[in-house]
Amino acid sequence: MMANRRLAWGLLLPALLWTLTFFAAPLVIMGMYSLWQRVGMKLVQTWTTHNYQQFASKSFLLESLVNSLEVTATVTVISILLAYPLAYILAERVPARWQRLALVMAILPFWTSYVVRSYSWLLVLSEGGILSNFLMDIGLIAEPMSFANNRGATVVGFVHFFVMLLTLTIYASLVQLPPSYRKAAADLGAGPIRSFIHVVLPLTLPGVMVGAFLTFVLCIGDYITPQILGGNQELLLPQTIMMQISRRSDFPMASALAMILMAVVSLAYLACARWLKLDRL
Amino acid sequence: MNIRALPAALYVLLLYGFIFLPVLVLVLFSFQESRLPVPPFDGPSLAWYRAMLADDRLMDALVNSVLVGVVSSLVAVTLGFLAAYALARHRLPLAGLLRGLLTAPLTISYLIIGMGLLITFNSLGVPKSLWTIGIGHVVINLPLCFAIVYSQMGAQQAHAERAARDLGAREWQVIVLITAPMLWPALFASFFLSLTFSWDEFIIAFLVSRFDVTLPVEIWSMLRSGLNPKTNAIGSFVFLISFLFVLLLDLVVLRKRPA
Amino acid sequence: MSIAQTSSSFCCARMALRSAGALSLLILSAPGLATEELNALVWCDHTDPALIEPFEQEHDVRVNLKEYEGTGNALAIVEQSQPGDWDVFVIDGVDVPRVAEAGLLAELPADALPLDDIFEPVQMRDVTFRDGKMYAIMEKFGYNVVAYNKAKVDPADMRDLGVLWTDKYKDQIAVYDYYIPLMDLVALKLGMKPSDISAETLPQIRDALFELKDNASMVGEVVSSTTALATGEADILLGGGEWAVAVLQAENPDLDWVLPDQGGLLWSQSLAVFETSTKKDLAIEFVKYIMSPEGQARLATSSCFWGVPANRKAGDLLTDAQKRALRWDEQTELLANSHRYFIPDAELDGQMLDVWSEFLQH
Repeated sequence: MMANRRLAWGLLLPALLWTLTFFAAPLVIMGMYSLWQRVGMKLVQTWTTHNYQQFASKSFLLESLVNSLEVTATVTVISILLAYPLAYILAERVPARWQRLALVMAILPFWTSYVVRSYSWLLVLSEGGILSNFLMDIGLIAEPMSFANNRGATVVGFVHFFVMLLTLTIYASLVQLPPSYRKAAADLGAGPIRSFIHVVLPLTLPGVMVGAFLTFVLCIGDYITPQILGGNQELLLPQTIMMQISRRSDFPMASALAMILMAVVSLAYLACARWLKLDRL
Repeated sequence: MNIRALPAALYVLLLYGFIFLPVLVLVLFSFQESRLPVPPFDGPSLAWYRAMLADDRLMDALVNSVLVGVVSSLVAVTLGFLAAYALARHRLPLAGLLRGLLTAPLTISYLIIGMGLLITFNSLGVPKSLWTIGIGHVVINLPLCFAIVYSQMGAQQAHAERAARDLGAREWQVIVLITAPMLWPALFASFFLSLTFSWDEFIIAFLVSRFDVTLPVEIWSMLRSGLNPKTNAIGSFVFLISFLFVLLLDLVVLRKRPA
Repeated sequence: MSIAQTSSSFCCARMALRSAGALSLLILSAPGLATEELNALVWCDHTDPALIEPFEQEHDVRVNLKEYEGTGNALAIVEQSQPGDWDVFVIDGVDVPRVAEAGLLAELPADALPLDDIFEPVQMRDVTFRDGKMYAIMEKFGYNVVAYNKAKVDPADMRDLGVLWTDKYKDQIAVYDYYIPLMDLVALKLGMKPSDISAETLPQIRDALFELKDNASMVGEVVSSTTALATGEADILLGGGEWAVAVLQAENPDLDWVLPDQGGLLWSQSLAVFETSTKKDLAIEFVKYIMSPEGQARLATSSCFWGVPANRKAGDLLTDAQKRALRWDEQTELLANSHRYFIPDAELDGQMLDVWSEFLQH
């Protein structure tokens, strides 16, 4: 190791400065804005908790957080339940030489633009779309029906992406499992189910938790999917934040909502902290 | 294949079907003849691809996306690599804190990062442009590049570096001629991942751009023109490009294992 | 080998690389600087190439367009921009007074513009003039009323706004996402005038909005709501009018619109020039072009949404089919039964936005 401190700092400095200037400082500024207030068309820079009080008192703001939490929880649970079996089958049942291909195939559809993918779900779910036509063809419904523009459509759009993400993280966890563990369990008399519950599941839990945390963070902060598929049936937190920016130019309020979003994510991080070690990526 | 494998096979088939459904619909109806990309399918027709290529705003946005992606990824990889080298090879005080700070943006929603930049640029009077988008994209990609390179800095490179120094190489020569080439897969993977994230990133680009926009933002505007096969066309086109990217990555990086 | 030498040689190499990169980027973006540019903040009907290209070619300029919906959004964009960023402003006529008072608009040369050729009730000199100076000129107008698919609903029902609040058309209604005209329509349904909206009457409006939301299948902006009508996702668009229907009528001739018995809302777009614009002359040329009969005819039938051109002389350039779609001959009667948008003060505006957010959340 070179004891060349100054050089080391010199190499580190650009990245550090960039992060401080364009990431940390804006967050601090947003924190400050959240404690200011917009009156009329002006920014009043006196310290006040007005925005946070508004959040607690205005039903549509509080509801947007509740809606976001509900949707995110639903999406996370459904995605885990769908992804785990798929990851398991890919890791255990698919011959090793096909596994990489299978994974690439699973990721492939997500190489379209994210915006376009949500739009594609609109094509599938809207009245006169693929799903509606299919159900009519097999006789389940009589008239074209719309499945879009509601929370269900938003959940479907999210699950579509996060099933893939969770499959990857759980798969990564599964393939790291030494086969000797399972052999040992079998030697000790455990059947496949008990082996799974007592050996495989606990050992792959970190992989599940990493995926679940990523799902939580990405889902709760997403604006596009609910905006395209939700039809304004309800508002989620990111939509409320964007409305503050685009309809009212109310940066203080938007900042306060952003701070609240960050607090929620931090809480989630603390809950999953044991399984998440960032420098072990 | 025995009968017991059937449920598993069925499950995999159903799930893959679910995953591929929107993309298949997208590509199929990009060849639609009429104006609405919903059944019945009357085609095939290349009309909408022609419309897509003729759309100046769309093509400009495509070029902008490539520009912003390549430049911001290069910056992110460079900064990330240098920072990883500094932290891995030297014992600096507060190393843990510094690592945490550099990787922190990974846990913050892009919406919040974009908002922070919007508010900051606004109050400083910095005009919105492709540069501001690029800045935002470096912010989100730098942690990734740093983390990937840092995790790859192992004893192997350290030995080679020490040998080079013993032979009289100056520090920058060590970095450029020894470390970087040995870490080539990690650097390439970081660059590629950054490019992918930047290429597809919407919310930051949406918030801090004015007229010159990237492709996702232009597609978003197009979306507000309702269901339109031209959107299908550009979506399928992006899909094709990304597919070729992955193929390239596979052939160039994953086939060559470092000695 | 000194540390200073290594660091400096290293840092200079990097700096050289960076500068080269920056320079090449600058060169790459240079072509955009060649032609003059005009920046316009507009509603989506101005993005039709058929409307913009003749002007671009004649004056050898490039017109950059940014679309928005709702004056509040436009003002947010302006606030988040730098002075000199914008030249032309397409803004709802009734919003001109408060924007002019804020000093955002430049004076227009009244004698160079065809003010007298505009339909009388739409000239609205009370809002476009201030202290004898003209700050905006009306360019296009239409109605926020009820658009519907006559093959799916009973046209007679559409004459009564109240029907939409009954269960008869539950889940067939799309609501246009613009709080001002929609809340005004709700006021009309309740038997009030739009100008009766106040802090006292707001709770009534809110309750009526909640009842409406229970019957609505979606709330959408200009294009998502017109698309919903086109695809059959919705059969009725509250807040729709010829603007939503005329552009889709070629594809779906069953689409129609009507001014209800309770009355309707008149929307009227105007053109203005920004005070901080650095290209005021070019901007005024643009205004003149849009107000000319040719510009007016193209604007009336542009993509995104149609509307009645303010300049009567444009009628000579419209086809009979287009005039029928716009109900050219019924304008006098329609105008007589419509109300202007109610423009609230800042505080009531905030309250109305809150109510609208609650409506979306309901």
